[in-house]
Amino acid sequence: MGWSPGQVHSAAATLDTDAEAWVASQVGGALEAVFETVAATRHDTAALLAKTAAQGRRPASADLAALRPGLHQRLTRQELVSGVGFVAAPGLLTDVPAWLEWWQTGADGDVRPLLLDLDPGHSAYSDYTHWDWFALPRDTGRRAVAGPYVDYLCSDEYSLTLSAPVETEGRFAGVAAADVYLRHFEAAVLPLLRRLPRPAHLVNARGRVAASADPAHLAGSLTKGPDFGELLTEGTPAEHAGLRLVPCHRIPLVLVLA
Amino acid sequence: MRQHEIGGGARGTGGGARRVVFSPVDNRARVDTVVRRIGDAIELGLLADGEQLPGESELAAQLGVSTVTLREALMALRQQGLVTTRRGRGGGSFVSLPEVPADDRLRVRLRGWSTEELRDLGDHWAALSGAAARLAAQRTEPEDLHPLRRTAEELAHAEETATRSRLYGRFHVELAAAAQSARLTREQVALQSEVGALLCLVLGSGEYREEVADRHRSVISAVQDGAHESAGTLAERCVRESTARLVAVRLTL
Repeated sequence: MGWSPGQVHSAAATLDTDAEAWVASQVGGALEAVFETVAATRHDTAALLAKTAAQGRRPASADLAALRPGLHQRLTRQELVSGVGFVAAPGLLTDVPAWLEWWQTGADGDVRPLLLDLDPGHSAYSDYTHWDWFALPRDTGRRAVAGPYVDYLCSDEYSLTLSAPVETEGRFAGVAAADVYLRHFEAAVLPLLRRLPRPAHLVNARGRVAASADPAHLAGSLTKGPDFGELLTEGTPAEHAGLRLVPCHRIPLVLVLA
Repeated sequence: MRQHEIGGGARGTGGGARRVVFSPVDNRARVDTVVRRIGDAIELGLLADGEQLPGESELAAQLGVSTVTLREALMALRQQGLVTTRRGRGGGSFVSLPEVPADDRLRVRLRGWSTEELRDLGDHWAALSGAAARLAAQRTEPEDLHPLRRTAEELAHAEETATRSRLYGRFHVELAAAAQSARLTREQVALQSEVGALLCLVLGSGEYREEVADRHRSVISAVQDGAHESAGTLAERCVRESTARLVAVRLTL
């Protein structure tokens, strides 16, 4: 009759493209929800720092206790998040050289503070300023997704950390951040990846696999070849050596279809 | 402090393993473990001179041992001069760094290890770091190597022996993290809490510090080149050399 195989093919291709775009936007949406908690912490911290500045004094670690009700609420409400807080830039606080106002969910669901030894005379891990979750927002002034990486400083978990810079009086004061354990992230996105007709996985800007429904590309491994950083800057889907690459909207992750 | 190290994790279901599980726990081994743990923390500066230790029942509960075991351990630590006990109001057990040079105290601690235990410690460490280096070589892209480079360079310039030991440990923890393995990283952190204080005994020499920094640099190069077999071998050689040196010191005691 009046149809051609070409038309059917393109209709199917459109369906596939729609499915890819939908999955990419859903993944983006899951992390946007986490970024909303980061934004709330950032807002509370900036307001707190503005208040101490208005009082004509510099903040101390005890001032950050005012952030706790909000942090606890975000930790219990946002299922994907296992750790939240504000990490001060060294020198911000008057009484301590460095500080993490950081709260985590325990194995039995309890909320507890992270207590770190940040004395360089005791600990080899006292300087946290080179970790991606701190350095990226500080250097770019923008929000960032760090990882997946082994977080041996705070949780001992394989994690993603989402963070955003906090400023006071026009200067960098530290980062607001939230931890997402990779196993929780996988549980959230795997049902989405499995809906796609081709084996699918998600990589970060450096090609590191963050979640996968493709046994040939497991979480933590590297997908080599494409320049994922550039693809994320361009923001449009592309093909590379038989791979279909779809950037997730506003989130530095790329959906890869084999 | 990690409680799971005490009492051993006998998960085997065979008859032999079950007998071990239900046999009376060797109290002496528990005392030694507590002495080692607290002593290491003092040597590494994790517990500061003059710091008060938690009360006996609290500390015993935290360590998962009986108060009797804890008291024996505290007595041994008092004999080593690492803890003093004051009675009465405001009393308790306090960390006290004796006037004896740190090296002498560490030698006393090393005497608590048999050469067989040191050999086994070295085997465990080589297994962890070798596996980590092999995986890191397959899973690392250039930016992951920044922390390792920084640590190797800091070690090359570290003046204090305790700092050198901490940086040595940090390198191997970062290597496990570069392997993208949370399990290997946790194991390496636990192992470093045991070996850290002892390493001070071999890292005092500036020459050996240089050698370790060089060995670390060559591990980084192999990881960067994706040469996983040589990365693993180089990492193993690095830690085997250190444990061999520890065994050599032990044999002089």
